[in-house]
Amino acid sequence: MAAVLRNLRPVYVAGIGFHRYQFASATTYVDLGLTAVRAALADAGLAWPAIESAYFAKALLPMAPGRAMLRHLGATGLPIVHVENASASGSAAFRHACMEVAAGLADLSLVVGVDKPMPLAPAERLAGIGGLADDAFAPFTHFALLADAYAARTGASVEDIALVAVKNHRNGARNPFAQHQKERSLEEILGGRKIAGGFTSLQCTPVGEGAAAVIVASEEGLRRQGIDLSRAVRVLSSAGRSQRLYEDATRYDAMLTQETTRIALAEAGVSAADLDVVELHDAFTVEEVEYVEAMGLCPDGQAVPRLKAGEFDIGGRCAVSPSGGLIAMGHPIGPTGVGQIGEITRQLRGEAGDRQQPDARLGLAHMVGIGAVCYVHVLGAV
Amino acid sequence: METPPLLKPGLYRAEGSAARPGQPALLGGVCACGHVFFPLQAYGCERCGGVDLQPRVLSGAGRLLASARVHLHPGKGREAPFTVGSIRLDDGPIVRTLIEGDLGALHPGLAMVTTLVPVADAEGAPRLDLRFAPEGV
Ligand SMILES: [Zn+2]
Repeated sequence: MAAVLRNLRPVYVAGIGFHRYQFASATTYVDLGLTAVRAALADAGLAWPAIESAYFAKALLPMAPGRAMLRHLGATGLPIVHVENASASGSAAFRHACMEVAAGLADLSLVVGVDKPMPLAPAERLAGIGGLADDAFAPFTHFALLADAYAARTGASVEDIALVAVKNHRNGARNPFAQHQKERSLEEILGGRKIAGGFTSLQCTPVGEGAAAVIVASEEGLRRQGIDLSRAVRVLSSAGRSQRLYEDATRYDAMLTQETTRIALAEAGVSAADLDVVELHDAFTVEEVEYVEAMGLCPDGQAVPRLKAGEFDIGGRCAVSPSGGLIAMGHPIGPTGVGQIGEITRQLRGEAGDRQQPDARLGLAHMVGIGAVCYVHVLGAV
Repeated sequence: METPPLLKPGLYRAEGSAARPGQPALLGGVCACGHVFFPLQAYGCERCGGVDLQPRVLSGAGRLLASARVHLHPGKGREAPFTVGSIRLDDGPIVRTLIEGDLGALHPGLAMVTTLVPVADAEGAPRLDLRFAPEGV
């Protein structure tokens, strides 16, 4: 049987860095990315020449932006690979860096996600299998249908589902790297511009740009640089899956989340009830209620009552999207999955300031990407 | 007046199926393994990977799984507001498309049928395109 990450050499996150997620600006992707990488190196206490490999996550930037950015840190000649996996690009890049370090092929590896808004054409359409009205379906349209079905299945109202946005904007207001940093009342959220179904603009992730970087390390690699594990966070498991055929094909995001999370938790040897902090793919409010149920953070149909009881607040049983999530922190695509790892690391170090989940020891990061693909990583305090 | 041609004749036809002769049928496929799918493709079966795929006419009838009124739409060539829905066809596959008819009555579980509506193609020529609408409305 194939090995799992936990049976290989231990892998740690040793440094994190961000460029704030923001609305599209004249800032070049090079500026965005270098800001995040330099911050991650400084956070780890490492100099650039110590980094042995680089994973560059992007979904929107054109071909091969990596070396054109990283050369400004000094052209050390390290191997650079670009990873594109839609919304999960950053998560996939992180997984592959973890595998390289776990396998002992590198001791210190950089994962950086950078993107800027650009026009995109989903490859699915190039397959030449057109649907009845593909042009009528934007991502928010897909999730508006899921929200309608969720409401019919559980009795949740439009207002109930919008409470996710109240929580996540409240968290984002405490995150200096978030695109939206403003608390919003339920009335403000519901009164915003109508998008589709019950969604208003503040229930949907904003389009934007930004960068996030993490340093993936072995203990040996850190010690050689004179760094101990005191601020390191261990990567306990990594799971990646793609969509299968499901009985209810419309709920593939939730089904895929369920099976990927189950694998990641099992490989880490923990259960959903043990999690203190979760960052999940909440591009639209309904996703959070769907996914907390799919992950087993609460029973089916119970997400809204648990949300109302404060279980998913910072300070609650398990803080969900303490960064503000995709709804408030933003979703620049390539960086997003890397940024989740950064936030979980910050939380497990106890360095998250006024958005700190008390006594956070175990965290989970989850992304889905068009296609559909799904990644789940479980991280633990050392 | 002449009946305009279909906008997407590879996906549906004006003629009904044996089970639902009154409703325009969808042009799906079936694999030797029994998996029924829409639209028809020849690449391979999503369930078993087999390539023994045959055309299968699917009835233009199903149940509404979900619907949403779209108020904002980024694409060109389609003006919001409009309504979309996901429908599980009586023959199995789930389709997502535009909904016509009495939109106030939409709720999951509602019986839906196909209908052809006049539209214009990219060059402005008249065409008929397939929609779903609540049955009997
Ligand atoms: Zn088959």
